Amino acid sequence: MLSGLMNGYVESRPDEDRTDINGDSAHVKNNSSLIGSNRSYMPPWTTPYIIGVGGTSGSGKTSVAAKIVSSINMPWAVLLSLDNFYKPLTAEERERAFQNEYDFDEPAAIDLDLAYECISNLKRGKKTSIPVYSFKEHNRVPGKSINLYGASVVVIEGIYALYDPRIMDLMDLKIYVDVDLDVCLARRLSRDIISRGRDLDGCLDQWERFVKPNAVKYVSPAKKYADAIIPSLGNNGVATKTLINHIKSKLQLKSRRHLKEIAKLGHSDNVTPLSQCSNITQLEPTNQVVALKTMLLDKYVDRDDFVFYFDRIATILISRALDDIPCHQISSIKTPTGIVIESPTVVNFEKVTAVTIVRSGDCFMQSLKKTVPSIATGKLLIQSDLTTGEPQLHCEFLAPEIEKFEQVLLVDAQVISGAAVIMAVQVLLDHGVRPERIKVIIYLATEVGIRRINNAFDSKVQLYVGEIVPIEALDGEKYSWARIRFIDSKYFGCD
Amino acid sequence: MSTEPFKNVILIPQTNQLLGLYTIIRDAQTKRPDFIFYSDRIIRLLVEEGLNQLPVTPKSVETATNQTFEGVSFLGKICGVSIVRAGESMEQGLRECCRSVRIGKILIQRDEETALPRLFYEKLPDDISERYVFLLDPMLATGGSAMMATDVLLKRGVKQDRIFFLNLICSKEGVDSYHEKFPDVKIVTGAVDECLDENKYLVPGLGDFGDRYYCI
Repeated sequence: MLSGLMNGYVESRPDEDRTDINGDSAHVKNNSSLIGSNRSYMPPWTTPYIIGVGGTSGSGKTSVAAKIVSSINMPWAVLLSLDNFYKPLTAEERERAFQNEYDFDEPAAIDLDLAYECISNLKRGKKTSIPVYSFKEHNRVPGKSINLYGASVVVIEGIYALYDPRIMDLMDLKIYVDVDLDVCLARRLSRDIISRGRDLDGCLDQWERFVKPNAVKYVSPAKKYADAIIPSLGNNGVATKTLINHIKSKLQLKSRRHLKEIAKLGHSDNVTPLSQCSNITQLEPTNQVVALKTMLLDKYVDRDDFVFYFDRIATILISRALDDIPCHQISSIKTPTGIVIESPTVVNFEKVTAVTIVRSGDCFMQSLKKTVPSIATGKLLIQSDLTTGEPQLHCEFLAPEIEKFEQVLLVDAQVISGAAVIMAVQVLLDHGVRPERIKVIIYLATEVGIRRINNAFDSKVQLYVGEIVPIEALDGEKYSWARIRFIDSKYFGCD
Repeated sequence: MSTEPFKNVILIPQTNQLLGLYTIIRDAQTKRPDFIFYSDRIIRLLVEEGLNQLPVTPKSVETATNQTFEGVSFLGKICGVSIVRAGESMEQGLRECCRSVRIGKILIQRDEETALPRLFYEKLPDDISERYVFLLDPMLATGGSAMMATDVLLKRGVKQDRIFFLNLICSKEGVDSYHEKFPDVKIVTGAVDECLDENKYLVPGLGDFGDRYYCI
């Protein structure tokens, strides 16, 4: 069965799809062709680095996988156990399971189709729901699931992590943890008897009937598909360290590529003046707008005044962005004096939600509440890595069913490189928000940042900007204030 | 972009949003909390538009990066004058833009004996003649009380071209009779209604603004 399956695997796999640890160039090519435009933006989670860790039960693969995740030490590195994908049992199977008569160690016990679906969703950067399995009930926990999103490193561990060809195909690195079966048995016994309160005979019986034969038949052969075979954690310090260093260097490469890609977005053949881009609206420089800007730029202005003036300009800007809110027709309304108004313009402010980019976008909270009553507001925390400057998504809280809102206002006080906004827009798109419903509201921006955002999303997202500082102006020192983040520091009163 | 449909009448942009806001406040079904919230939003837009009409003077400031920025600042002082009671609903909107603005009040009521508007009370800043004045009254129907209030301001030495009369709804009829007397006062409005009915109410209008904002 195994060889037959594997033959099919080799034949059905077109060469250009092959993505392995040395196949970075193929990797990139493959993904850009998916998007169809080499100018499009791809956040790190659209090309997550997927590591598979396989090995027999008791081999210590879980410890190795956990060690990898903790060494990377980033919130977007996640550990996914294939145990989550155990198939729910029928009543009869469950009865056998309770009597230790059910074979949990054969590949058929795991819903590999679902696992493949979830992992391939992760590979495409989509939000993915992972089931939760209860070993006590031998069933999926109803109504409970783990939502995974934004992971740029996924470590998948399980005895069958290196079994299904479709899943292996999605992996960038395949690790097999190799340990003698008698060591595995010893580990299983101490774990099952001490931690899980099982009796010795039952454990030995299970080992003889299910675990060992399956390990020999299905698990061990996976060795030949592994990129690296390492001994278990107890005596594999060097091996694990070497692997982790390798992974880190791959991630650095990925991060550099990400940064380069963001930088590249600023350069394009499209040099249409921003004033002629129909999706970009700049606030008219009225007396009010210019006077407010003057006060906001004055370094001697009190924080009190600064907050007040920023709230004012923010309210003007948000109101401007809502000017062309979609309208609906209803047949008529009646005024208190009994006059009927036929087919009045009706807009639905309840269909507006906002998403702020923490912290600078939070300067808009006050004005958002002033403009749309009890507006549902999501938050995204995106920070630049201190050493590389790479933007990283730390967490995302969004209004439930955000894709159903007619207008999604993404707000940020300042745009310098454009990286955080690009990432934030991508998060919204990944959550099913249609690009034409996204309105990015920014108070102060550089032209480079705006052009990058525009290029990343093919001018499909509407931009409302208080002030765009042109590229030429940024060359000199005169406009250097546009290159530093000062608005949120002053608004919140801490650097 | 605001338009000037008639001389010295500044109409704020008739966007989807603004039309939608007016539908909400005109609808008899709208309850008071919503009426207040959405009226306040329109008032805020009127105040911003009014402030945009004020002259500015060049001003340079030093930025956080120690560069000089050549900007502007406002020239001259302003004050608000509300016609009690409905006009007072617009004070908050003005305060949101100018925190410690001085606000004068004028109470004008219909005299029961003569059926003509009569001035009952006025309290205005002493130096009002040196200020730009935002006259606040949400509805301009016949313009009777607004004209009387403007008279009070002129008597105190305010120049016509320094008065901005802010209202949510006006009628062509009201604008014409007001401008006949005070051609240089700028009227900032969000809606010009069709006409007045036999009771001199705006059509379609929104009912009694003061009642809806304060009581009903």
